[in-house]
Amino acid sequence: MKAFQQNLKTLEAADTQVLGVSMDSPFANKAFADQIGVTFPLLSDWGGDVTRQYGVYVDKYKAARRVNFLVGKDGKILEEQIDKDAIDPKKIVDACERKKVSR
Amino acid sequence: MKRKGVWILGVWLLTAAIACPQINAQGNKPEPPPKLRVGDVAPDFKLQYFDGSDEKEVSLSQYRGKSNVVLAFYIFAFTGG
Repeated sequence: MKAFQQNLKTLEAADTQVLGVSMDSPFANKAFADQIGVTFPLLSDWGGDVTRQYGVYVDKYKAARRVNFLVGKDGKILEEQIDKDAIDPKKIVDACERKKVSR
Repeated sequence: MKRKGVWILGVWLLTAAIACPQINAQGNKPEPPPKLRVGDVAPDFKLQYFDGSDEKEVSLSQYRGKSNVVLAFYIFAFTGG
């Protein structure tokens, strides 16, 4: 989450909205956002329906795994980062910048 | 006495050889990749967040045609990253 915050200006300049998603309550997420200085929304998938719909629910943890999706303006998935690869969002930031240039 | 020791060691090694691959297979079983792939349409959703004073609702479709969206799934609040 912090890595996206650090790149937020770049992403916003490339018409990109960042949304965090976890299975925590809205209030826990707000406290988390404040603690780590995140200003974009952290959405609550209380119950895990969306997490399951996106196929990122892990039975062992009873929670989501770390996955980043970049969704384009047409609603299609442009990039995907999974587990360890999802810690550094550079691939997604670069893809947003490329789209901006090619527009 | 010495022979008995060798025999016990042999049995132990045999047991370990049988048991270990199973333990490994259970412990390191990789999670299958998410079923959504690049190029798929991201399913729409409606989720809430708390902005400090109100609960706000966000849907994926509200960004359609306007901006890209990064969806960053994470395990739990108050964990690293």
